[in-house]
Amino acid sequence: MERLLPDQVEIDSLIDKLYRQEAGKLIAVLTRFFGAEHIELSEDVVQDALTEALSNWKVNGVPENPSGWLYTVAKNKALNVIRKEKNRKAGTSDIAHFLDSIWTTQPALDYFFSEREIQDDQLRMIFMCCHPAISADSQIALALKTLCGFSIKEIASAFVTCPENIHKRLVRARKTIRDHQIQFEVPVGNELEKRLKAVQETIYLLFNEGYNASGGDMLIRNHFSDEAIRLTSIAVSHVAIKSKETTHALLALMLFNSARFAARTDEYGNIITLEHQNRLLWDRARIREGFIHLQKSHPHQFVSKYHILAIISSYHCAASSFESTNWIGILHEYDRLLEIDDTSIVRLNRAVVVAKVEGAGQALAQLEEIDDLNDYHLYHSVKADLQTQLMQYLAAIDSLQCAYKLAIIPAEKVLIKKRMANCKKKIQN
Amino acid sequence: MKDFLLIIKTEGSVWSDLSPDALQRHMQQGGQYISKLMEEGKLKNANPIDKGSRIITEEKGTIKDGPFNEGKELVAGYFHIVATDIDEAVAIAKGNPIFEDIPTQIEVHPLMPVGGE
Repeated sequence: MERLLPDQVEIDSLIDKLYRQEAGKLIAVLTRFFGAEHIELSEDVVQDALTEALSNWKVNGVPENPSGWLYTVAKNKALNVIRKEKNRKAGTSDIAHFLDSIWTTQPALDYFFSEREIQDDQLRMIFMCCHPAISADSQIALALKTLCGFSIKEIASAFVTCPENIHKRLVRARKTIRDHQIQFEVPVGNELEKRLKAVQETIYLLFNEGYNASGGDMLIRNHFSDEAIRLTSIAVSHVAIKSKETTHALLALMLFNSARFAARTDEYGNIITLEHQNRLLWDRARIREGFIHLQKSHPHQFVSKYHILAIISSYHCAASSFESTNWIGILHEYDRLLEIDDTSIVRLNRAVVVAKVEGAGQALAQLEEIDDLNDYHLYHSVKADLQTQLMQYLAAIDSLQCAYKLAIIPAEKVLIKKRMANCKKKIQN
Repeated sequence: MKDFLLIIKTEGSVWSDLSPDALQRHMQQGGQYISKLMEEGKLKNANPIDKGSRIITEEKGTIKDGPFNEGKELVAGYFHIVATDIDEAVAIAKGNPIFEDIPTQIEVHPLMPVGGE
């Protein structure tokens, strides 16, 4: 077979891409074979298959169908493992025995590695990673590692922590899976509803880790949001999930928010606030897709946090300019949100809108009633913004100083500095 | 859903009696048949029987074992399937493509459910 000339850099970047694309799928299907308690084994086998691919391709060139090649290696490794595991009497899944018979081995490999089954397995994996018995930070780490194909090193640098820490979270997650005998399956009946909520929570958390990056490797974190969208797309298109309204709402919300991604920073990585964003840079196709899912979420019949947040985001996406935004509509949605999710963060975001509708003075008064966000840089940042609007420049500088101390991302610090300088200029004039 | 054991008996062996061409087609069709059962969630297990079977008999108080004496008929393997009733199990057995390749008999045995009915 004609093979492409190997080039070190090319192979490395191909492997990276391939790994991101296929690792999650392969780990999911292997876990179906090995059983939930052997999830680490699946991760190792996929890692092995990749390493083998890498060293082979360096010598022989990249095959025409790299994915297919990788799948074949993974299948063979799975066979070896099952046959070895059997000797060790390790617990295996209800389908592992198919690999013990020559009548069923090949059909089982063909069938369980098929596109449709892999989709099912990824959904099973989503439910397993987002099991409420696993702590939130472990859930995220496990999902990033097993579903999204990130390495421990990448996850650690995204969360500004050491690899050992991420490793510990993964160990804890796997231990919880064993201790609670969490099954590799999509729950049914009443349980499904409850567990789906947990899945949505985790995915939304993952999305926000990418969207509201509070530090860490931005290149990696930017992928988090896309991965969250991909995982939600799997859930929303799956027949096992009957009531999909809230999942559609979550998907719409993430599509709307991520559509504005490219406009949020300038070429130097500086943050551009919504007011000053170039709306031509917003991803129109994504926004359209967001509206399709918003419609499918039946926002007039169903109410959830995601429905309301999606509607708010849709108002922003629909506005041709900051000035022409339907602030009254948005404020109305925030009032509805407070009824079901009365948190300080919601009140903080609502205050920004109150400033647009009822004036900065009113907003500032409401902001000062919030007493538990003193450690949150955006609280001080919003406060400073309102104080600036009210021409209370000295107070604004105080608030910006608080925000500066609490902010982590350099781009955010730069923005705060700039605003401080503006306030000082106003005082001098 | 009930469990059934299908015992496949053939006259001669596909491995020795079929031409390489026919054997290849046999394996392909057999694979598709098994895949379909898997897909429908009806297959619990399927295994061919290897050479070297033994048979244990009791004769005048002694239990002896000896080679399994097959005539021209040989036990080729078994399927453990689930089906709604014996009729469906029979229909599944009838669909086995092995009938096209070699003289075959398939016994369809309902397995006794745990707890009984």
